[in-house]
Amino acid sequence: MPDSLVSPLHNYHTSQNAKFIDFAGWSMPFSYEGTIKEHNYVREDKGFFDVSHMGRLEIQYNDIAILQTLICSDIENLQVGKALYTIFTNNNGCAIDDVIFWKFQDKILLICNAANTLKIKDHLITYSISFNDVTNSTALIAIQGPNAIQIMKGLVDIPDSFSCLQNDQYTYARTGYTGEDGLEIMVSLDYVDELLDYLKSNNISPCGLGSRDTLRLEASLPLYGFELSDEITPVEAGLKWTITNKQPYLGSEVITEQLKNGPNKILKKFEIDTRAIARTGTKVSAGESGGVVTSGNFSPRLQKSIGFVMFENQPSTDLIVFDIRGKLVEGKILKKRFLN
Amino acid sequence: MSEIKYLETHEWYSLTENKITIGISDYAQGELGDIVFVTLPEVGQEFSKGESMVEVEATKTVAEAYAPMDCVIVEINDRLESEPEVINTDPCGDGWMVKAEVVNLDDSGMLYQEYETFIS
Repeated sequence: MPDSLVSPLHNYHTSQNAKFIDFAGWSMPFSYEGTIKEHNYVREDKGFFDVSHMGRLEIQYNDIAILQTLICSDIENLQVGKALYTIFTNNNGCAIDDVIFWKFQDKILLICNAANTLKIKDHLITYSISFNDVTNSTALIAIQGPNAIQIMKGLVDIPDSFSCLQNDQYTYARTGYTGEDGLEIMVSLDYVDELLDYLKSNNISPCGLGSRDTLRLEASLPLYGFELSDEITPVEAGLKWTITNKQPYLGSEVITEQLKNGPNKILKKFEIDTRAIARTGTKVSAGESGGVVTSGNFSPRLQKSIGFVMFENQPSTDLIVFDIRGKLVEGKILKKRFLN
Repeated sequence: MSEIKYLETHEWYSLTENKITIGISDYAQGELGDIVFVTLPEVGQEFSKGESMVEVEATKTVAEAYAPMDCVIVEINDRLESEPEVINTDPCGDGWMVKAEVVNLDDSGMLYQEYETFIS
């Protein structure tokens, strides 16, 4: 097996006694002090994540019209200076990847899932979109939490929510994957130590991918490979709100049909009033409908087990029975978000 | 209580006359990360050596603790139901999981030094 890729912050992680996991070919910190502790830093105060494993591609602004034919959201009419969460779809309307764009005057920065970087690059090449892959020449750091912005004010101008800015050192947006306010900052390798020193001197604790996963789950956010895949459409994944592209795009006829008549399979949120975790792959039933848990974990905030389940069809009841390693456990479908 | 001994599957046990106290090692809790839920057996349940006795749910994964020898459960650590995190903070003390009566003695576990070499 080839050696794992490591982040520009790898030595720092090692110095902080991080526990590493292999993720999409990268060796990244899973935790430092413990997943729940790090989860709470972000929910209650502030924390930072190294997400340098995520793909970062600078797309020429001129290619925006082609880009518009590959995603389910309207990027052409998006204001310059805004960020956009959207989905690259295939011919069947299913997700090639879910991504973030930061739209600047001169370029569009595409941030994709690490596991999909090569796939997205191939896809862009197929459709003759020019890009510059800056994944290995930069780091990407997410500073998140209710007190994150207050601290970051000392370093950069703060953009509005879901907006992006750039200066000589940093390209950044007020976005994240935790359900909390904060910034995601892309920085060239020349300035990464400076940014790290700022975070350290302001006592912002490093948080690993373990807590990033429990935070995103609590925030009801999907993860590609689990809630989304190349066999799941944005409609099926409960991401109708991303479908704002009025022009034809790959698989748009399938998506339009699903919007009109409803999808077959459907993603639902669930909670279980105990700490028994229904993990990925757990089989469930709700009345006549069967399904499979896509993600499930313990919610540190709610102190109970939560997750997503993909049902084969719309269930007629909110009561779910989980088969957790042979034991039947009851839970229920949740219509609202996990956290208010 | 006798000296704590360890198994290759990362349980510890300590033997007093015909009773054993069982838990998981400090190394095991560290590898699992935050423990959020524990499924304990019932008093009176019998286990053969190597059989799964306890299920430990951590945010990262689920793991099992196996019977170090043939035994019958005589006491479970009820505290773990509301405070499973005690296994993280004190795995070989307050984080004990079950006490059991030995049916077939098999005191072949490793002493700490040997276990330390095993995990390193």
